[in-house]
Amino acid sequence: MTSDALHGPLLDIRGLSLSFGGLRVLDELDFAVGEREIVSVIGPNGAGKTTLFNVITGVYPPEAGDVLFDGASIVGLDPHKIARRGIARTFQTLRLFLNMTVKENVMAAAYGHTRAGIVRSVLRTPGMRREEREIGQLAEDRLAFFGDRLVGYRWGQPAYSLSYANRRRLEIARATAANPRLLLLDEPAAGMNPVETNEITELISRLREEGGFTILVIEHDMHVVEGISDRVVALDHGVKIAEGTYERVATDPRVVEAYLGTSAIEDT
Amino acid sequence: MDWDKLVQLIVNGLTLGSVYALVALGFSMVYGILKLLNLAHGDVLMIGAFIGWGVLGWLGGAQDPVVAVWLLIVLMILAAMVGGGFLGVAIERFAYRPLRRAPRIAPLISALGVSFFIQNSVLLLFGANFRSYESFDLVDVEVGVSVGPLNIWILRIVVMAAALAMMLGLWILVTRTKLGKAMRATAFDREAAAMMGIDVDRVIVKTFFIGSALAGAAGVLVGLVFGSINHFMGFGYGLKGFTAAVVGGIGSIPGAMFGGLFIGLAEAFSVGYIEDLTRGRLGSAFSDLVVFLILVIFMLVRPQGIFGKPEVKKV
Amino acid sequence: MSTGPQSPEPPRIGVDEWVASSEERRARSVADRLQERLERTPAAAKLVALALPFAIFPLLVDSDYLKQVGIDTLIFVLLALGLNVAVGWVGLLDLGFVAFFGLGAYLYASVASEYAGRHWEAQFAVPAIAIAVAAAGFLVGLPSRRLVGDYLAIVTLFFLQIWLVVLINASFTRGPNGISDIYPLKLFGREIVSLNGYYYVTFAAFVVIVSFLYLLGRSRTGRAWRAVREDELAAELMTMPVNRLKLMAFAVGAGIAGVAGALFAPAQGAVFPASFDIVLLITVYAMVVLGGAGSLFGVTVGAVLINASLEALRDPDDASWLFYGVVVLALILLMRPRWLPVAVLGATAVFGVVVHEVAEQVRPSLVSGTTFGTASVDRLVDSWVLVPEGAVGPDGLPAGALARLAYIGLIAAILALTLIRSPLWRAIALVPVLYLTFCVWENILLAQPAVARFVLIGAMLVALMAVRPQGLFGKQRVEVV
Repeated sequence: MTSDALHGPLLDIRGLSLSFGGLRVLDELDFAVGEREIVSVIGPNGAGKTTLFNVITGVYPPEAGDVLFDGASIVGLDPHKIARRGIARTFQTLRLFLNMTVKENVMAAAYGHTRAGIVRSVLRTPGMRREEREIGQLAEDRLAFFGDRLVGYRWGQPAYSLSYANRRRLEIARATAANPRLLLLDEPAAGMNPVETNEITELISRLREEGGFTILVIEHDMHVVEGISDRVVALDHGVKIAEGTYERVATDPRVVEAYLGTSAIEDT
Repeated sequence: MDWDKLVQLIVNGLTLGSVYALVALGFSMVYGILKLLNLAHGDVLMIGAFIGWGVLGWLGGAQDPVVAVWLLIVLMILAAMVGGGFLGVAIERFAYRPLRRAPRIAPLISALGVSFFIQNSVLLLFGANFRSYESFDLVDVEVGVSVGPLNIWILRIVVMAAALAMMLGLWILVTRTKLGKAMRATAFDREAAAMMGIDVDRVIVKTFFIGSALAGAAGVLVGLVFGSINHFMGFGYGLKGFTAAVVGGIGSIPGAMFGGLFIGLAEAFSVGYIEDLTRGRLGSAFSDLVVFLILVIFMLVRPQGIFGKPEVKKV
Repeated sequence: MSTGPQSPEPPRIGVDEWVASSEERRARSVADRLQERLERTPAAAKLVALALPFAIFPLLVDSDYLKQVGIDTLIFVLLALGLNVAVGWVGLLDLGFVAFFGLGAYLYASVASEYAGRHWEAQFAVPAIAIAVAAAGFLVGLPSRRLVGDYLAIVTLFFLQIWLVVLINASFTRGPNGISDIYPLKLFGREIVSLNGYYYVTFAAFVVIVSFLYLLGRSRTGRAWRAVREDELAAELMTMPVNRLKLMAFAVGAGIAGVAGALFAPAQGAVFPASFDIVLLITVYAMVVLGGAGSLFGVTVGAVLINASLEALRDPDDASWLFYGVVVLALILLMRPRWLPVAVLGATAVFGVVVHEVAEQVRPSLVSGTTFGTASVDRLVDSWVLVPEGAVGPDGLPAGALARLAYIGLIAAILALTLIRSPLWRAIALVPVLYLTFCVWENILLAQPAVARFVLIGAMLVALMAVRPQGLFGKQRVEVV
C-alpha cells in the first residue's frame, strides 16, 4: 500500500489544461502531492480549484496533460474506477444520499472494496454476512472519528435530518469509507462557525495521523490553510501562480494581487 | 428510379415534418425552461385536432361550410391554438407547478397521469371511432400546385406554409421581444432570472401557452391533411415530435424545425421504401422502427443533437 | 423500506416546542396516525402479514371468478414489484417495462403451446424465461444507460411502441390474433389444471420474488441502487459503477416481469398484443406509486388496491359502492377537524334535494331519466341527482351533450377548487362540486365503466403526485433544490 518517495509522488499532475467554451479554466497546471502530505489549493473564486478536483476524479476529461496516481495515468478512466484506485472526495455543495440513513451513507461508499453480488446477497452466504458486518463496523468506526456527533441514534437517522456542519462531517466520513489513499476535501470548513472551523483543522491533521491518508484540500479560510498545510498551491485563472510553504505563498505578491486586485499592490 | 414516387415521398415527408417540427418546438421550449419532459404534449395536439373538428362541425361541416373555406381553416387553427394554449397552461398549473420541488420522477408520473386522463376523457366523451375532417370535401384534391408531372394538393402547401409561418413568428418572438429575452434568461438560469426581477412563473406560463398553442395548431393541420383523428393520435405525434427535438438539439428552435423535417422525411422514405429494401419482409408499419433507430443512434453518438451544445455537468 | 437500527425515542435535535406542537396537531388526523403505526412496524413483519391473507384466500372463496381475480392480482403484484426495482429503488422511469411482461408471455407461448409444438415443464421454462427476459432487459438498457431520467423515459416508451409494432405485424407472433392454444403449466410431469393450482403456483412465485427483493434491498447492491437514485454523480465518485448498477436494475426488473408473463400466458391460455400496451403500463405505474415507490409492502398493497378497484369498476353496482365509498372515506381521512366531512356531506345531501326539487319544478326533463346502476346506493341517489333525458331546455340541448358539458365543467370546477386558499370557503365550494361529481358519475362515468376506470386512474395519478408523491405507504423524500 505504501509507495515511498523513491517511487515518486502519489499524485502527479502534468500540464493539465481544460477550457469551457473558450474560457481557459485550467492552464498547463503542474504539481505533485507526495505520500502522506497535506497540500492546500487556494485561489480566488473561479480560479479553477473545484474544476481541478473534477478532472482528477474523472468527472471532466482534460484537454491536455496527464494525471498520474501512484505512477499510473488515470486520465480517461471511469470516475468509479478512479475512486477504486484510491481517490475519494467531498463536495463543496454537499452531495449526500439525503434519504438514506447516516450509516447507510457511509456503508454505501464501501461498494468498491466489497464483493457480494446479487446471488450471494440473496442467498445470504456466510461470506456476504461477514462482509456486511465488516462494513457495518467500518461505518461505525468512520463515524466515531467525529467524537459523539454522528454515533448512536444518529446512525439510523436520514441524512437530511443532519445540521449543516454534521453534513460536512458525514461527507468526510463517507469519503474515508471508500478506503482511499488520497482524500480530496473541497472547502471542508465552508459555512462553519469558528469553533467548528478549529475542530475541522484539528480533524484534518488527525485524518493523516490516524487514517494514513494523503490529503489535498481546497480551502478559503486562511487559518485552516495555515494550520494544516505542508505545502500550499495557489491558482488564479487556472494557472499556478505560487507554490511552497504557507508563509511563502501567503506573502507572494502575485497571490496578494490575485486576491485583492492590482490596485491593492499599487497602493502599497 | 421512380421519380414520381420520390417527389411524392418528399412532399409527404415535408408535410409530416412540419407537424413534427411544431410539436418538437413545444417540447423543446418547455424542456429548455423547466428541464421537464412534458409527456402530455402529444395529447394537447389531439385536443387541438378535436377542437378544430368541433369548429368545423359548428360552422356547417366540410360539405357545406357557412363561411369561406380559408376563413374556416383560419378559425379552426386559431380556436385550436387558444384551446391548446389554455390546456397547456392548466396542465402546468395543476400537474407540474405543485411538483417543482418534488423528486425528479414525480412530474413525469404526473404527466403520464395527465396524458392518460385526457385520452380517456376524450374516449369517454366522443367514443373510440375515428373522426374525419372530410378535407377532400373542404378543398378538392385537384386544387393544387403542379410540380412537373405531380400535383401537390393545396392543403399540404397550406400546412407547410402555416407551420413555417408559426415557426418564424416564434423565432422573432424569442429573439426580438422582451418576453423572448425573459424566456431565454429563465432557461439559462431560473434562479438568477428571478433575482433579476423576471417573474419566472409568468414566463413559464407563457412558455406553456405558446408551446401548447403550437401543438394545438399542429393537431388541426394533422386533421386537414391526414383526414382522421382519434383519442389516441397524440401518442405517436408526441413520440416523433420528441425524437425531432432530440435530433435537432433540445432547447434549440432551428434544431426543432430541422429535426422535425428530418424525422418527417425519414419516416416518409421508410414507409415508401422499407418493403422494397427488405424484399417484403418488413411492411410499412415498421417505419417507426427506423425513426426509433435514428433516436437511439443520436442519443448514443450525439446526445446534444445537431444544433445543441453539450451540457456541462454541474458539480 | 427502512434499514439500520432505530432506537425507540431518539432525542430530537432541531425540533423546538412550536414545531413539536404543530406536528402533534397534524398527527391528529386518522390517516396520519395509521401511518405512524405502520412506519414503526418492521418491513419484514408487514410483508409476512401481507402474505398470510394471500395464502388462505382460495380457501375462503368459492367462486371461480374470484379465484381468477386472485391469480390476476398476484400477477399484477409481481409486475409492480418488478417495476419498483427501476422506478422506486434506482429512480429510473422505465416506460418500456410491460414489453418485458409481454416477452415473458410470448416466450412461454413459444415453448409450451400447440402452435410451437412443444411443452416445456414449468420448472425449466419459468427460470429460463426469467433469465432470457432479464438478458433482454440488459440489452434494452444498454443504449439507455447514459441517459438522464427524462430521455430514458422516451427511449423506453418508444421501445415499447416498437415492441407492439413487431407483435402486431410480425408473422411468427401471429399478429393481432395472438397465440391462443397455449398449454397449461406442467410441473414435474403433472399438468396444473385447477384454479387453486394456478393460484398457489403464482403465490409461490410471489413469495420467492418478494423474499428475493427483500434480501436484495438490504444488501450492498440495494444500497448502491438507492445511492444512485439519491445522487448519481456522488455514487459514481464513491466507487459505485452507476451504469452497471442501472443495467442490473433493468435486468432484475425485466426478469421479474418475465416470470409474471410466463405465469400469465398459461393462466390465460392465450396471448394477444393488446394485453401489453400503454394501458397496462400506466396501470402498473399507478400500482407502484399509489402504494409508495420504493417500499415492497406499499407496492404490493398498491397493486392489490388498484386491481381490486379495477375489477369492481367492471360492474356498475360494485362500481357505485366503490365510488361513493371512496369519496366518503377520502373526505373523512383528509379533512380536519373531524366534524367537517360530516357537515360537508350533510350540506351536499340538502343541496342535492333542493336542486332536484327546483329542477323538477322548472324543467322536468332534467330529472326524468334513470341511472345506470341498480345497486341500492343508486336507487337512493336516483331521486337526488339530476339525470336528464331527451332534449333539455328551450334549445333542445340533448341530454348527452349536457352531460358532456357537465363533465368538462366538473374538471374545471375541481381545478378551481384547488385554488381556493381559505379552508372555510373551500369546504363551502366543495358542496356543489361534490354534487356535480355525483351527477357526472351517474350520467357519464357509470355508463361506460370500462373507460371510466382509466379516467379515474389518470386523475388519481395526478392528484396523488400533487398531494402525496410518496404514495400511501412510502416515506416522504427530501430533495435538494
